[in-house]
Amino acid sequence: MLKSGLEINKRRFVLTVSVPLIAYLSISIFVIGWAFVLMFFDYSPGRLGGPFLGLGGSNPFIGFDNFIEMVKGASIEARMFRLSLKNTLIFAFTILPLNLAITLPLAWLLDSIKGRFKVIFRTIYFLPVLISSVGVALIWNNLYNPQSGWLNEIIKFFGGKPVGWFTDSTLTFLGIPVSLWAIMIAYLWQDYGYNMVIFIAALQGVPEELKEAAMVEGANRWQTFTKIVIPLIRPTVLFVCVMTMLSSFQVFDIVQVMTVDKPGIGTQAQVLVLDIYKNAFRYNRMGWAAAESFVLFLIILIVTIIQVRTLRTKWEY
Amino acid sequence: MRKVFLWLLIVTAAMSMIFAFTLSGCKNESTAGTTAAETTVTETTAAETTAAETTAAGEATAKTVLRLWCMNSPAFLAAYEGLAAAYETAHPDVDIQVESFEYGVFIQTLQTAMPAGQEADIMALFGSWIPLYAERLATVPAEVMSLDEAKNTFYKAPLGGYLGDGVFYGFPQEFNNEYGGVLVNKTLFEAANLTYPPKWETMADVISDGKALAKKDASGTMTTAGFYFIGGDMSIPFLAGIKQFGGDYWNSDHTGFTFNTPEAKSSVQWMLDAVKAGVIDPVGFSQNDLFPVFFSGKVGIGYVGTWSIGVGKESYPDFKDEWDYFMLPNINGDTPSFVADSGWGLTVSPNSKNQDIAWDFAKFATTVPENVIEYNRITGTIPALISAKDLPEFAEQLPWAEKELGILPYGEYMGQMPDRDLIMYEIIFPHIVKMLQGVETVDAAMEAIDTEANSTFK
Repeated sequence: MLKSGLEINKRRFVLTVSVPLIAYLSISIFVIGWAFVLMFFDYSPGRLGGPFLGLGGSNPFIGFDNFIEMVKGASIEARMFRLSLKNTLIFAFTILPLNLAITLPLAWLLDSIKGRFKVIFRTIYFLPVLISSVGVALIWNNLYNPQSGWLNEIIKFFGGKPVGWFTDSTLTFLGIPVSLWAIMIAYLWQDYGYNMVIFIAALQGVPEELKEAAMVEGANRWQTFTKIVIPLIRPTVLFVCVMTMLSSFQVFDIVQVMTVDKPGIGTQAQVLVLDIYKNAFRYNRMGWAAAESFVLFLIILIVTIIQVRTLRTKWEY
Repeated sequence: MRKVFLWLLIVTAAMSMIFAFTLSGCKNESTAGTTAAETTVTETTAAETTAAETTAAGEATAKTVLRLWCMNSPAFLAAYEGLAAAYETAHPDVDIQVESFEYGVFIQTLQTAMPAGQEADIMALFGSWIPLYAERLATVPAEVMSLDEAKNTFYKAPLGGYLGDGVFYGFPQEFNNEYGGVLVNKTLFEAANLTYPPKWETMADVISDGKALAKKDASGTMTTAGFYFIGGDMSIPFLAGIKQFGGDYWNSDHTGFTFNTPEAKSSVQWMLDAVKAGVIDPVGFSQNDLFPVFFSGKVGIGYVGTWSIGVGKESYPDFKDEWDYFMLPNINGDTPSFVADSGWGLTVSPNSKNQDIAWDFAKFATTVPENVIEYNRITGTIPALISAKDLPEFAEQLPWAEKELGILPYGEYMGQMPDRDLIMYEIIFPHIVKMLQGVETVDAAMEAIDTEANSTFK
């Protein structure tokens, strides 16, 4: 009797869960499948196209032409794609080490502070995370304003020449346009508090006796940090690396807001998701945008697999 | 477990296919509706409206409900609501419901609603968008207005955006002109002992005043731009200049661009002269938006369309300097030839079951001079309707438009570019800025513009 009651409950559970799950997966699969199909068409939602979902006709099948154009093409969209891809890679591979270089030592420092100051500092550093990206972009846009921005005022105060952060097409630092640096700084400022809190949590989980044992063996604080602490928090480092890389590859809102009123020069800092957005929703090139999205998906997939394989551990403490 | 997983996959895939076919079916249905609507438009009457389109049962007189989509700028929304109310007063059996969207959301809504056949009966679209959506728009029935009649009714620049292959897709409401005028800061003019109001005969006179207005601080940094013209819309004077030098940026059959020409190079000469004379720092003052710098007293003369008069007064009521709007002299020659990119106007969905009412409303809103002036007064725009200027209250109600009356007949539609935004903002603008910043030569800039703009043709 009890067994059959359980069976009934199980069946009810399966039924209750299956229906929304199937509905959800069906729609997800359709959307993914639709994007996959679109990348082989020169599709614009403004055109009538053929009878089946608007494919064919004035939205013709073009095979791999979008991908060939991305690699070899001289058209403006191909060049914008290549520039955006380059900027996205620069963005992701610059943000990650900078973020780790700031957050890990900062977390270690904060973890070593005792008492209420620890909470105060943690709150201060975490505050930017709570601000919306649009707000962060507006704040930094004001700071970068060539006429009245604080940064240029500080530079002028010390006798320097104001910088056209988003207006000087010649300005680069380490070969990267200053406009892209300006966005990366704003992004880092907003993002580092999140990783810092994660690292603090990880550091608190490192057993004190292991650190003390290392000290007894003659290791100094730096050696303890690099040889004992970091290897022990490697799973957390992996998590932070993967998540930071993912969000960096998908960065959109902050770039959009900081460059929206700066056509041309602001484009120097254009990233791939913004290019996808512009092509899809401004220029009506859904097929091209779908192909770009697929390239971004592949890049993120490959980078994530490499990160997981490189940083994974087979042990726990 | 494996069987359950397989079963789940099969069901999910099947559901996705059903979903796709359902959407396809919806689309086919709407396409069929389009064709039917296009062929039977003259036979459809308001009396044939379906019950679903009438107001709640119980009302003595069932109203025919039409939806109108527009951008949600407060001024535009108020203007469309005013037009809807005026039409409803004249036609008590019609209810026009205005639905508005933020600019970006509006575009995305069109992109999703149109393929599904779910768009509004009437849509206020920008003229430059029409080529992108032409296949999904109803054409103006000949009995509503013929093309010849339209050419005599509207200025050619705004109408041009709604034309295609001998048919037209809607009625323009606005002459969107970014060419020919400037905001002038009177306070700065008087402080620099310059003649006010300015009496400019040539662009050299403007540059001369700009030079006198420009200021730099001790570090050599420009603090006041004498003549600010570097913005996203600088493509418009560039294209106008090409026309005024006797050239064209289109090839003979409009299948390609010709930007690498002597006329195009001459067209940017005044910009180079201005930078050389020190009227503007092309790095410090090359932001897109003139308003923050002009309305903080950092610009003497600022290139912008007349729409800026209304927006400036509304957005910067506390700005203490006195200012006004003046027309510039021609870039070259005696004829103020220029191009414009159409403007906002009304179109009708081919899926609307009340196309006759929709077209009647569109005609009411765009060809009755009193309605036109009211719309343009609220939105701070210039009428596309030629006869609007004949109304006695025109100058009083639309002082900004009155300033431009002399040049409006010379305006031409800029042409159906494959992608106007891409060409203006991502190709022409950055190359001209680079040229002014000394990164590119004139020849290199024109060649790059020519190559890149032509690459937008498929």
